[in-house]
Amino acid sequence: MKLFESLNEELKQNTGTYAPYYFRYLGYKEDLSADYATLRANGIYSLFAAPVPVILKSEWIAGNQASLFCDETALVLNYAKSITDKFSQRSFITNKDHFAPDYRHILRTGLPGMIDEIDASMKMHQSSPEKTATLGAMKKSLGGFAKMIENYALRAEALESSPEFDPQRVRFIAQNCRAILIGPPTSFPEALQLVWFCHLAFTMEGRRAMALGRLDQYLYPFYKTDVEKGTLTEAFAIELLENVFIKLQNDTINICIGGQNQKGECEINPLSRCILRAVRSCNVPGPNLSLRYTQNTPDEFLDECLETIGTGLGYPAIMNDDVNIAALKKYGYAEADVYDYSMVGCIENFITGKQPPWSDGRFDTPRFFDYVFNNGQSETNRSVGLSLCRPEEISSMADFMTVFEKQLAFGVDEYVFKFNASNDAINQAFFAEPFLSCFCEGCIARGLDINCGGSIYPSVHGAAVMGIGTVADSLAAIEKVIFIDKAATLPDLRDALNANFEGYRTLREKLLAAPKYGNNDPFVDKYAVWFIDCLNALFAKYKTRDGGGIYIAAAANISNIYAGRIINATPDGRLRGEPLSDAASPTYGRDTRGTTSTLSSLSKPDYTKVACGSVVNQKFSPAMFGPEKRKKLIALIKTYFKQGGQEIQINATSRETLLDAMEHPEKYQDLVVRVSGFSAFYVTLEKDVQLDILNRTQQE
Amino acid sequence: MLNVSKIQHFSTGDGEGIRTTVFFKGCNLHCPWCHNPENLSNAPVRLHYRATDTDEILGRTVSVEEILPELLEDKAFFDESHGGVTFSGGEAMLQANALVPLARALRDRGVSVLVDTAGCVPYALFEQLNPFIAGYLFDFKTADEHQYREIGGDLSRILENLHRLQADRIPIFIRIPLIPGFNTSPQATRAICERLQALEIKHVDLLPFHRLGSAKYEAMGLEYAYRTQQPLTQEELDEIKAIYQAYFSVTVER
Repeated sequence: MKLFESLNEELKQNTGTYAPYYFRYLGYKEDLSADYATLRANGIYSLFAAPVPVILKSEWIAGNQASLFCDETALVLNYAKSITDKFSQRSFITNKDHFAPDYRHILRTGLPGMIDEIDASMKMHQSSPEKTATLGAMKKSLGGFAKMIENYALRAEALESSPEFDPQRVRFIAQNCRAILIGPPTSFPEALQLVWFCHLAFTMEGRRAMALGRLDQYLYPFYKTDVEKGTLTEAFAIELLENVFIKLQNDTINICIGGQNQKGECEINPLSRCILRAVRSCNVPGPNLSLRYTQNTPDEFLDECLETIGTGLGYPAIMNDDVNIAALKKYGYAEADVYDYSMVGCIENFITGKQPPWSDGRFDTPRFFDYVFNNGQSETNRSVGLSLCRPEEISSMADFMTVFEKQLAFGVDEYVFKFNASNDAINQAFFAEPFLSCFCEGCIARGLDINCGGSIYPSVHGAAVMGIGTVADSLAAIEKVIFIDKAATLPDLRDALNANFEGYRTLREKLLAAPKYGNNDPFVDKYAVWFIDCLNALFAKYKTRDGGGIYIAAAANISNIYAGRIINATPDGRLRGEPLSDAASPTYGRDTRGTTSTLSSLSKPDYTKVACGSVVNQKFSPAMFGPEKRKKLIALIKTYFKQGGQEIQINATSRETLLDAMEHPEKYQDLVVRVSGFSAFYVTLEKDVQLDILNRTQQE
Repeated sequence: MLNVSKIQHFSTGDGEGIRTTVFFKGCNLHCPWCHNPENLSNAPVRLHYRATDTDEILGRTVSVEEILPELLEDKAFFDESHGGVTFSGGEAMLQANALVPLARALRDRGVSVLVDTAGCVPYALFEQLNPFIAGYLFDFKTADEHQYREIGGDLSRILENLHRLQADRIPIFIRIPLIPGFNTSPQATRAICERLQALEIKHVDLLPFHRLGSAKYEAMGLEYAYRTQQPLTQEELDEIKAIYQAYFSVTVER
């Protein structure tokens, strides 16, 4: 059995109750009258220091959450929970997690060096009691973290004589833990162990989507030195990485590889390859691998990425580095920081280790049609926009756009108000984050918490603008059917929408027949371009509570389905409750001309105005991932990115998908089967012919 | 005017690179396994797909000026992948007269053109197109002249065309559809190999039979003779491929 397989088995064996709150409670109860930063730090200290570590038999890199299971009575646990709950936690919207820590820093200074920095800063800020308390809390939490590592060292040392454990492995773990307790890591395994402990500590605190950032860059010096010294092989490095990645299940941990430096040189290195291979062999969804692709990324590397995708993994997601860098440059970050960006969560562009944790929200763009047609009121959405005019008073497409844009402007105003209010409603000082602050540049030197001015850049927020396809198709349908063909009037359309097209079949057919986004048709594509320009400009007028930018995102992560449920029928012919178009993509099934046409449409909007990031999903049958066909995919991606596309996430159609498509053809209208001289929509084929394809898929 | 049924972007099995394939209407053969039955006749045909309750009418006449912009749309993709436009069908060569200005217009704009043909037309038609195209995807279905006659073809004409194309130094990419019961026996396979070897062919593409076209027969209200024909198993395919490999370098296109 491979390392990651046996680890996977061992990870499942826990007894007792998973009770991180209990371990926090042990610290809180020591001094309930302390200031909030100290109180939080006490809780974090005991959360890290009190649990008894569990070392797994087959691992080289230790550390997992099994230590947080405990056997206390229900009485004790319930009471502990009631105390810990009083302290409450930040949420995603108030900057809790989705953060890429400054791992470079701790790898350089080591844990003791970081504590020395805190001491030095305390001396500097000794006249400020608040800063002294904040720094004291940081130091206390790092003390707990050090104790946790020491506990692992002790446990590993105790296991050296256990007949059930491989003495070589536990000695390796003990030595690595001891080494990172006394100074900066000096080898690849020590560095990886330290990073993993940090990540583990964040997850013990209850944080999710804590990105590993540019893992191939900050670990590469260690890798290179070890390989040159002959103390590390590529195979063993991969095994160590697998050891870590297999523990990332049930979370979305972004790992960034590649990218370019300020000179424009591609930074793919041998460790990037090791990471790709380790993610591939683990084959679990947790490690969310992102490739920062530049036009000078070696074709062999992209090829290996595509081969990996072809195994059914769906990763890495491929990001256009040039576009992301151009987008981030607009926000005034230092140039070096822009080039060192990485992704958090799914795709969100993050200034690594230099800004507070991320937050996103959903902006339901197509909702605002309802206000245009109903003079500011939406029965379906039970909400109210601006009362501007009745549709009878709109006499041209230009007028329609003006009214729609005014409604959107109001919507953005409303959105930002709600977002900032939910942040201003919390006492930032009460929600002190002493441990997290140690991993964000500026906090230690300034003696300030990460969310209270400590980070060198302010918090930014991503507004995920829903339904670019739905909106573009709707506007094109209005222009074509109402203003060019004059086949109906705007009041007719209002009545049709409010009736969810019941009794308006002919009108709906005309709307459906209008040009659709995703077919490289300028008539409709111009509205997608407008969509991005308009929404970026509207959101750019606002700031977060601490003065950061509000980026837009063209990403959905299935929230287009939830948004669609509460939005009325739309002028593109979409029925009430149906999903909106997904992420940056056309409406599902409406891009019928082929992938090049789809991507040509999708590269028209200016994504340097989409600083948060966008998502474009494309599915291909496994046959497209053979060596010859991969060359075509490489050319496809390169051209799409040269034309300005921002992101592409490619999936190989799996056997499961094909089986599901036989049962639910309505969900797979655009699934194409390509052979020479022929292509067919899968759902139009007879069952036994579909089975031929299934069998072929298996052979490949 | 051109008689066209469909334009397919991002074709990945019709020659080198990323290609846009134009399917032309009309064919002079009547292969019972054909996967594009909608292109057999010159007249437009209506297809009704029961599974999705959708209709499609295939067949329209267009001018070079009308069709050209769409064929140029993917130029950047062609350039990056060494791709281009493929004329397919039906038998595209039957419209050679009308194809010449289109092929010339594409060539003049730096787009490479391949023509997918069964090759059963007078060589004079090839001669018209030769100056403007990058080569032929040349179907070779059997080495047995009776079999060719059954499907409306003429082996001697095909061999002559192949020979003359070689003499004129026009690139030829031989493609062999592997049709169970028609040309997949070891004997039939060897006969094909020997014919092609005699023409100094070095490489062949094998196109294993599939019945993905059957939905189209149904949608046109036609019987499909190969409706229940099972595809080749991997083992059968490997055996056939092994024979070809004794003569040529081989790729399997699917």
